[in-house]
Amino acid sequence: MKRREFIRDVAIGSLVLNLGTKQSLFGQAAQPPDLAWVEGDSPAAITRAAVDLLGGMKRFVGRGDVVCVKPNIGWDRTPELAACTNPEVVKTLVELCLAAGAKEVIVTDNSTNQANRTFLRSGIQAAAKEAGAKVLLPSPFRMKKMALGGEWLKDWEVYLDVSEADKIINVPIAKHHSLARVTLGMKNWLGAVGGARNQLHQKLDQAEVDLARFFKPALTVLDAYRMLMRNGPQGGRLSDTKLQKTVVAGVDYVAVEAAGATLFGIKPEELPFIKLAADRKAGRLDLEKLKIEKRTV
Amino acid sequence: MKKERSKKYRLLQAVRILSQLFFFGLFVYLFSKTHFTGQDYISPVERYFHFDPLLGLVTSIAGRVFFASFALAGITVALTVLLGRVACGWVCPLGGVHQFFSFIFKKAKLHRPKSASAGPLKLKYYILIFILAAALLGLDLAGYVDPLSFLYRSFAVSVFPVLAGAASALIGLLYKLKLTGLGGTMGQFFESLSLNATFQQGFFIGLVFLAAVLLNLVRERFWCRVICPAGALLGLLSLGNIFKLKINTQKCIDCGLCNLQCQTQASPFPDEEWKGHECVYCFTCGAVCPTAAIGFPAWKRAPRREPRVSLERRRLIWTPIAALLVAPFFRLTPAGKRPSASLIRPPGARPEPQFLSKCVKCGECMKACPTNGLQPVLAEAGPEGLWTPKLVPRIGYCEYYCSLCSQVCPSGAIQELRIEDKIKVKIGTAWVNKNHCLPYALGKPCIVCEEHCPTSPKAIKLVETQARLPDGTVSTQKAPVVDYELCIGCGICENKCPVVDSPAIYCTSIGEQRSETNRLLLELLKTDSEPY
Repeated sequence: MKRREFIRDVAIGSLVLNLGTKQSLFGQAAQPPDLAWVEGDSPAAITRAAVDLLGGMKRFVGRGDVVCVKPNIGWDRTPELAACTNPEVVKTLVELCLAAGAKEVIVTDNSTNQANRTFLRSGIQAAAKEAGAKVLLPSPFRMKKMALGGEWLKDWEVYLDVSEADKIINVPIAKHHSLARVTLGMKNWLGAVGGARNQLHQKLDQAEVDLARFFKPALTVLDAYRMLMRNGPQGGRLSDTKLQKTVVAGVDYVAVEAAGATLFGIKPEELPFIKLAADRKAGRLDLEKLKIEKRTV
Repeated sequence: MKKERSKKYRLLQAVRILSQLFFFGLFVYLFSKTHFTGQDYISPVERYFHFDPLLGLVTSIAGRVFFASFALAGITVALTVLLGRVACGWVCPLGGVHQFFSFIFKKAKLHRPKSASAGPLKLKYYILIFILAAALLGLDLAGYVDPLSFLYRSFAVSVFPVLAGAASALIGLLYKLKLTGLGGTMGQFFESLSLNATFQQGFFIGLVFLAAVLLNLVRERFWCRVICPAGALLGLLSLGNIFKLKINTQKCIDCGLCNLQCQTQASPFPDEEWKGHECVYCFTCGAVCPTAAIGFPAWKRAPRREPRVSLERRRLIWTPIAALLVAPFFRLTPAGKRPSASLIRPPGARPEPQFLSKCVKCGECMKACPTNGLQPVLAEAGPEGLWTPKLVPRIGYCEYYCSLCSQVCPSGAIQELRIEDKIKVKIGTAWVNKNHCLPYALGKPCIVCEEHCPTSPKAIKLVETQARLPDGTVSTQKAPVVDYELCIGCGICENKCPVVDSPAIYCTSIGEQRSETNRLLLELLKTDSEPY
């Protein structure tokens, strides 16, 4: 880590901590939790409840903002196979963003299988359009090499429709992955870049952290309504999935990641990318010290 | 005498041009619909081909089985028997293309119609006889010169890829000019068309198409007059010709304009020498006649001087003999005797000999393939396999839940598959090249192939491997191993492998289930009866 970055990170970190203590000093009763952890039968209802618990979408989206909601639309699989984000969750977030005054909500992903297929068959294109989003197929003209300022990734082709948005909301799905063990929010950024993405696997943990720190989502909503337990990251059979009926949301994406790991029965510090992100002060993984609001709706 | 052109035939000429435009438009419309549109099954976008009697006849003879969809060609046959070659003049999209360019070349004074010898017109009949004789030996040559196959292949592999490239350059320019909104809209539109723009031999096939167009500089509608075997077949079928050309000798001023302007050299004047089997009923003669002397009355026949189609007896004998020799000549190569490793046929493709005898090289499958993976073959399948489809995983893989190529094949060379059946079809097998593979060779993590493997359970398993690094240390990584029984040969592993020059995992055709000889593991054979 460079000295300049270190100073910057310390400054940001202490500022964040400071804010936290100030608010608690004033003893505001309505202070939102670090994580909202909601279970329930309806993907839409639990998403709505999670955002409400965090203080409502107005906290994250301002009037006139262009918002990018970034789900995982990577694979040519139907929703019940849990390879792509639940379309109802995406739809609800689009609705909430528009209701909060967003000028435009973009839903997109640089998919792995042919985008024409994944966008349709995941159900996300239809759901997001119905809610009023602009659904964009990834285009080679919208990839631009730019400085990421990462530890490992100095520069890379970035998907402009994501990076140019005023606010980014990350909506990953919780899935098994044979290299990273699980794929959650930070790995989802591989769908927001172009270039030779298959080479990022050579230092996947580093790449995940560098990308997450570049995109800096305003909010992360982890879809664990139906989780993919094996044969990841695309599954293929219903028996590869598990109905968990949960979403976890938070501003601190490392905390969301840590919570996601526990859904798989994995301790957060066991996962190198979470550990690395926490070490770099991108967020916290000590769940026991975080304020977590759990609900069932 | 009053000089006035016939209003009736000028109107008919206009209607005929509209008809050509309509059918060309329909051809392009169906062409543009031949891709993943959001439905698993696309309506019969290949229907055009089924009205083609040449393809129907040759595929049935060469393939030794009648493909039911070709029954529609009966409509074309009936129409031709009654009315003559109206299909050539009013419907054929390639005829329309040739006529359009003939028209342009004439307007631009690049081509000046002059009287020409009728000799070359016979060539197309010999081509037809040659193709039919070769079909008897199971050789399907129709696709190379059939007008629909020729046009579709040229469009799919060359013309539209060029247009897509031009559109792409234009969109790039719009972005450069900061017209992001317009560029974005156009970009989204082109993404949604999913035009395949990368083709091996695209340049070569494009040159052939260009040559066919440029032949219109030599003679108007050169292709239709001299080459087209489908036109020749329809010419032979145009027995009835209810409407026959008749010249009103009292009006005729012997100007010869009709002979000069006739699109297909059917020699309208004198009407006894009119060649009904060459006439495509474009009504140009009727429209250009300065004195409206030309008509096409029903059931009236001018006495004929020439026989219908006069072919020389010697050539008539030698052409099929040459064709009989050409079949073994085409099969001198070892292609038929030993399977080619890189010849991965589309899922649903029939066993190789049957496939070759049915494939009409139209390129429908290559247009439909969502990943651009289906490519025209050059030499792997022998001379008769030229321009048949094969999967080139480095360019595009076989999409797991897709059976579009099998649905759009017009001649049954690829058997139509339901998605649930297609995902079980093995078209080849993946092999790991440990000398190139990152975990095996360099001790680096990767697993990209395993991640993309679409089957469940995955056909690529990961095992721990120890790579010795140049400094003597050992790196332990997860490395891919292929499960032969689960692998379907879709090639996505090869496509996504980060070793971009010579992939560390690659597919070959071995194990393809359509073949009894291209097999590897004997115990995988599932036989119902005991051999002993």
